[in-house]
Parts: sequence; C-alpha cells; structure tokens
Amino acid sequence: MSSTSVTQPLECPDSVVTITDDIGAVRRHRARRVSRRTIIDLTVAAILSVMVFIALFPYLYMLETSLKSNREFLGNAVTPTWPPHFGNFVTAWGDVAPYILTSLVVAAVTTLGCIALGSVSGYVLSRFRFPGRNLFFGLIALLLMVPNVASLIPLFVLMKNLGLLNTYPDLIIPQLAAETVFAVVLMKTYIDQLPEELFDAAKVDGASAGRTYWSITLPLARPIIGTVALFSVIGVWSDYFWPELTIVTNSLRTVPVGVQFFQGELTTAYGPLFAGYLIASAPLLILFVVLARNFLAGIQGGLAVDR
Amino acid sequence: MSMVVRKRRRIPWGAYLALAPTLGLLGFFRYYPDVNGLVHSFTNWEPGFASPFVGLANYRAMWHDQIWWQSFEHIGVIFLIAVTAMWAIPLGAAELLVTLSRPRWRFVFRTLLIVPLAFSPVIQVLTWEFIYDPNVGVLNHFLQGVGLGALAKNWLGDPNTALWALIFINFPWVAGLPFLIFSSGLQNIPREVFDAASVDGAGRLKRFFFIDLPMLMRQIRVLFFLAVVFVLQYGFAAFIATQGGPNNSTTVPVLRMVDVAFQADEWGYAAALSSTLMVIMMIVSGLSLLLGRKRGGAAR
Repeated sequence: MSSTSVTQPLECPDSVVTITDDIGAVRRHRARRVSRRTIIDLTVAAILSVMVFIALFPYLYMLETSLKSNREFLGNAVTPTWPPHFGNFVTAWGDVAPYILTSLVVAAVTTLGCIALGSVSGYVLSRFRFPGRNLFFGLIALLLMVPNVASLIPLFVLMKNLGLLNTYPDLIIPQLAAETVFAVVLMKTYIDQLPEELFDAAKVDGASAGRTYWSITLPLARPIIGTVALFSVIGVWSDYFWPELTIVTNSLRTVPVGVQFFQGELTTAYGPLFAGYLIASAPLLILFVVLARNFLAGIQGGLAVDR
Repeated sequence: MSMVVRKRRRIPWGAYLALAPTLGLLGFFRYYPDVNGLVHSFTNWEPGFASPFVGLANYRAMWHDQIWWQSFEHIGVIFLIAVTAMWAIPLGAAELLVTLSRPRWRFVFRTLLIVPLAFSPVIQVLTWEFIYDPNVGVLNHFLQGVGLGALAKNWLGDPNTALWALIFINFPWVAGLPFLIFSSGLQNIPREVFDAASVDGAGRLKRFFFIDLPMLMRQIRVLFFLAVVFVLQYGFAAFIATQGGPNNSTTVPVLRMVDVAFQADEWGYAAALSSTLMVIMMIVSGLSLLLGRKRGGAAR
C-alpha cells in the first residue's frame, strides 16, 4: 500500500525535495492510520470491558461477599469492607469438603472408564472393517442427540429395581454412559485423522491389534484424552436432576446438589455461604485454566458430528 | 485401501469383543430404559408390581393436561429469546472481538468473557437467585440507589416477572456455545477475504452483512437445532429457583414430568410425558442431521 507512494516519486527524480516531502507525508499518513486504529481499539475495548463487567459482576460480587462478616454485609451490601474475613472459607470448608470429595471420586472413575471404553471402541470403529460397524457407530452417536434428561424416569425405575439408588454406582453409571458416548465419537473422529501409514507400518512389523492400540493409538490420542477428562469433570459439576432425585445420604451428594444442603452457619450467614460456593467451584475453575485448549477442541469435535 | 479389501474376507471377531463392553453399557443403561419407558407409557406403571395395560389413556391424559401445554408455552418464550437476544449479544461481542487489532487484547477479552463457563451451572443459578432476592438482592439495591425503588420487587416470586427473571439468568449470555462458535467462526474467515472487501470499499457494516453473516450461516443452523434441544431439556434452573411457581408461571416440560413421577407417583403417565419429549428431541435431531447434510453437501 505505502510502497507505491514511495516508489512513484523515485521514478521521476525531479528533485530531492519531492522525495523527502513524500516520505514525510507517508510517515504522517501512517501515524494517522495507527492512531485511528488505536482509537478504534480503545473504543471497542471500552465496550467489551462493560460487557465483561456485567458478565463477571455476579462472580465478583460473590467473591466480595465471601470476605464479609454477616454484620458488615447487612450494614453495607454493596461496597467492599476492610479487613477481609478469610475465616469464612475455613467455616465453609467443613461443609463443602465431602461434596467435593464425592464429586472427585465420581469424576475420576467416570474419566478412567470412559477413556478406556472410548479409546478401545474408537480405535476399533476407526481402524477395522466388519459387518455392523456403521450401525454400531450410528447407534452410539445417536445417543449424543438425546439428552440424559429424556431417560430420567425409566432410568430411575431401572436403578431402583437393581437396588442401586443412593450408592456410588448410581452416581457413576449414568455419568459413565453419557461420557462414553461423547468419548467414542471424539476418539473415533480423532483416530480417523491419524495417518494410515502408522498403522500399516505397525502391521508390517507384526504388531498385534492390541499392541497397536497400546503403543500407537493411545499415546497419539493424548490430547483428546485431556478433552474427555475435562468434559467428564464438567459433567459431574453440571448434572443436577439425577443426584438430586436419587441421592439422600448427605456425604454422597455431588457439588451441584450439595451446595443446596449447607448446614448450620452457612444457611444464615452470607459470607461463609458464598465462600462455600467458591470453594465448590475451585476444582472446575483450576481444571479449566489447565485444559482451556482441550475445551475448545471438545466443542468443535462435538459439533463436527452434528453437521 | 488395499487393507480394506483384504480385511473383507475374514471377519475380525475381536472387534465385536472389543466393542462389547461399550455396547453393553449403552444398551442396558441408555437404550433399554428408553424402550422400557416407551412400553410402560401404555400401562399404569407401578414399579415393582404388576403394571396393567391401559392403552392410550396416559396420552389422552396428556392431551388434556393444561399444565403440560402451558409448560410448552413457557419454553416457547424461552426459545424465542434463545434464538434472538441470546444470539445477538454474543454475535456482537464476537464482532467486537475480531475488530480489535491487538491479538493480546483479543485473547484477554475472549478469556474474560467465557470465565462464567468455569462455574457449575447450579452455582450460577444460586448466585443469580441471590441477585434477585427481594430483601438483600443487588438488583433491588441498585434500583433503590438510582431512585427507581418503586420498581423493586420479588422478581422470582411474582408470576408476571418470574419467567423473565429465569431467562435473564447469566445476562448478557455471552459465556456460552453461541459466543464460542461465532468467535471461532469469525476468526476462521481468511484475511484475504477482508482485504479484498476493503479494496472494494466495503465498510464494517457491509462486511458484517455480506461476509460475516453468510460465512456463519452453517454454524447458525447448527445452533438453531441446539437451541431447540436446549429448551426441551430446560429445567434445573426453574427447579432450583422457582420450583415451577408461582402459580405454575415457570413450569417447563421437564419439571412437569418430574412432578408427575416423584410428587404424584404416576409413573405410567410420567413415562408417557418422558417418551413424548424423547420423540420430539429425536425428530428435531434427525431433522438437523438431514438438513445439515443436504445443505452442507451443496455448499461444499
């Protein structure tokens, strides 16, 4: 763009003055363009900042309130007060800890299970040809489109008949089923994209199918394993109706249900209550920070099937 | 490819063995309950006891169930907002984001806008419930602060405002799938397209209508069907914040279904409602697949 205006006066070298003048003009022009861009950037950033403030306001407010004593809150609900009461977090910890522990156990078993089932099935569906292959994959992918809540009633009856209500398996199995569907679809799509030569080479070297799975597929699928893990934790931290309707033992409650069953001081004082919400959110927040990239990969993978 | 041909002769039985655990799990805990529910929607289902066949009685009851149809009106309202305002604001945010010329700023704002996603949805709802609180809520405090104290009210407890209060949870609705899809869609449009357009003298608005929107059409179609499935399974926020009340003004299909089963103890009827929801979801998903494939094939 600017190169043309510089070369033009060079083609007709009437005087040196023209050239220097022109360079000055280019420079000025460029400066004006840069400042115009800066103005646009600053304006856009200002609008976005307002949006960010509104979007994050409830959470900032939660953080602010979690550091107040109840008297401070009732006297002044809006602005921060000094000193911060970190003791609220200590008070809340005892109530929240069991829910976090249960959630982590459910999430860990679910994650391990769906990675095992998802990677084996994804590998088989991607790399082998056998009658029924498309049918099986179709039956699994179909479940991606029917949300769990549609099976709530009959699944409750099934679990009741099996005598599993209000147990760990009751928390884990539906979660595992849901995450396995997601894992199979994601893994198969991912393994489809791996170069065929890798698998051919392994075959030529005499590697068995099991060996190829263990030494080639699994290591290569590591990024997608992170995605599956993140989504199974999100699942446990989001699922509400199932634990709400099937769990009655307090220590078996997962975070989404548990935070409604705070006891004692947490029901009367806002500071510890919000401190409890924040502690309950912490594991997911941390995982999000660590696995942010995997999150976007999972969204794209999930949508790829819908198309 | 040659491997495929060779493979076809011999059926790898190991493949079935490897798939068996997954298919068994999904068959027994996903497919079987759904089919079982469908079958028992024609009975007076009493789990653990004999369930007499009642034909279409449950579906006839559904036909006359005013609360059930009212609940569809409510998700209809939610749907209208979900495909208009709940898209417009995230799309606006995504457009603003790509307008920023500094990549670092882009990254910072994008990250800040999606932070709420890292909170459990239940905690999001509880936090907003607190904002709406008639006595200590920020919303009423704010209205009183700016001299509009007369407008302060019990937002979730008033039949006129309860549904809207639920809809406005998580306002400005940026932290969600639409924003992620719009912003990654806009970022994936090749730079050359914009350069060509600006050479032709297309301004920012023209670029939005003639480049950005057409390029996002496929994503918008996907989002449309996701929005249908989203409102059909909408429920936990209402369950927590209003329990469907006051006066059933916030009842949604999922809540009605849960009520019929767990409060009224009518499992056959609940199975009919549940099967109806499931069939609607499958039809919608099937439609989305069909349309997506046809249009997608033509576009490519």
